Amino acid sequence: MMRYTSFTSYDFILLAQGLGVSLALFAVTTLIGLLIGTTWAIVRFYRVPVLTPLITFFAELLKNSPVLVQLFLVFFGLPALAKINVTPVEAAVITLSGNTAAFIYVIAVSAIESIGRDQIESARVFGLTRWQVLRHVVAPQAMAFAVGPLTGLLVNQLQVTSLISVIGVVDLTKIGNILNLRTLKPFIVWTIVGGLYYVTAKLIALGGARLEKRLRAHTAWKGL
Amino acid sequence: MLTLLGKVCDMISARGVHKSFGSATVLDGIDLDVSVGEVVSILGSSGSGKSTLIRCMNGLERLDGGRITIDDFDVSNPKQLAEARKRSATVFQLFNLYPHMTAVENITLAPIQVLKIPRAQAEAEARALLDSVGLGARSDAYPAQLSGGQRQRVGICRALAMKPRYLLLDEITSALDPEMTAEVLNILAQLARTGTTMVFVTHEVEFARTISSRIVFLDKGRLVVDLPTNDFFASGGGMANPRIAQFLAKMRKD
Repeated sequence: MMRYTSFTSYDFILLAQGLGVSLALFAVTTLIGLLIGTTWAIVRFYRVPVLTPLITFFAELLKNSPVLVQLFLVFFGLPALAKINVTPVEAAVITLSGNTAAFIYVIAVSAIESIGRDQIESARVFGLTRWQVLRHVVAPQAMAFAVGPLTGLLVNQLQVTSLISVIGVVDLTKIGNILNLRTLKPFIVWTIVGGLYYVTAKLIALGGARLEKRLRAHTAWKGL
Repeated sequence: MLTLLGKVCDMISARGVHKSFGSATVLDGIDLDVSVGEVVSILGSSGSGKSTLIRCMNGLERLDGGRITIDDFDVSNPKQLAEARKRSATVFQLFNLYPHMTAVENITLAPIQVLKIPRAQAEAEARALLDSVGLGARSDAYPAQLSGGQRQRVGICRALAMKPRYLLLDEITSALDPEMTAEVLNILAQLARTGTTMVFVTHEVEFARTISSRIVFLDKGRLVVDLPTNDFFASGGGMANPRIAQFLAKMRKD
């Protein structure tokens, strides 16, 4: 007998849709965050005056305040202050991209700084330009250094996407909420939702570990 | 007349070079010329300013006074520095190879990026260079897979691949054990025979004696002596200077 509170096969489609929204938001904000964060780090590498301290200050702000507060600021604050209407999805993309960018900036800066001065000198001395040094000598080594922390960050940022459900984006968590209210079986619903996040996070971590192994292949000792 | 003028330019020329780090004066008015075809060894105890002098020549340190030109290109002028750097190549004490690149990639990076040599040609040249230093079989190894002596030989190939007029060698055997030192010095002897111009900062006094045309002795940032090799080691020449005699005696003891 079918009751209002029982699970239906349609619920799996709902869950899949929610997961899709979460993943899409995660992917888009990660890409934008990577782009902005590394651009900031490159600006810092060139020691651009004025811009560099400005970026550092802005990244500090984003890094040291709760994402939820940032989300409210964008979703409720922006329309109130600048009369710009932002949809929940827009607010989510702006907030999560900015937040991810700030953390990627920190990782990229420390990765670049982990490359010894001797590496930069030995390339500069052969006449490579600052850009060529960055592209051929610094970036590949910094990337190998950054993949570990970056993977950790992305696993965390995936979980952070669940916050956007509070402003009405129908992501995996929001679907969980809907199913929970209808079925009144919180233990089952949230276990399934949690499990889906877990599997996705695990896949990200796995991908990161693989990439790291490949980027660090050159340090592997293969014997003389 | 033109050829004469041309000849005048064919040298590294340092005039009144001053360099200090904070309150410590490291180079205190150095005058030194190195002409094409010469092998000039720079001796001196640690802290005498030898390495700093090389680092001023290749533009890694900014001069606080004086002037260094390579074939008339002023290393203190950012635009001329690029040209000066094309004419000289440095081998470092700690190799400074790029760890994420194979031996061949280490050697071809600058020729491809700076000299715009086609990749295939640059690679062929790199392999030939590695062959000539006995590393043909290790061409595709990463630095982590090479011994210290092998790494330094790659370092030398990397410098030679730029076809420099002047080879700047900054204590290139200081981080190597005697056996590996011998590997590297053999290559230098070979290069000296083929007429490569070298500025050789070193602690290997006996080896410097065999390959150098001139010996320069630095002490506390000043150039104490600049003599043809035979005169330097003659009792009435450099040895007459107590500071040098003391230095040589200490080196021979070690």
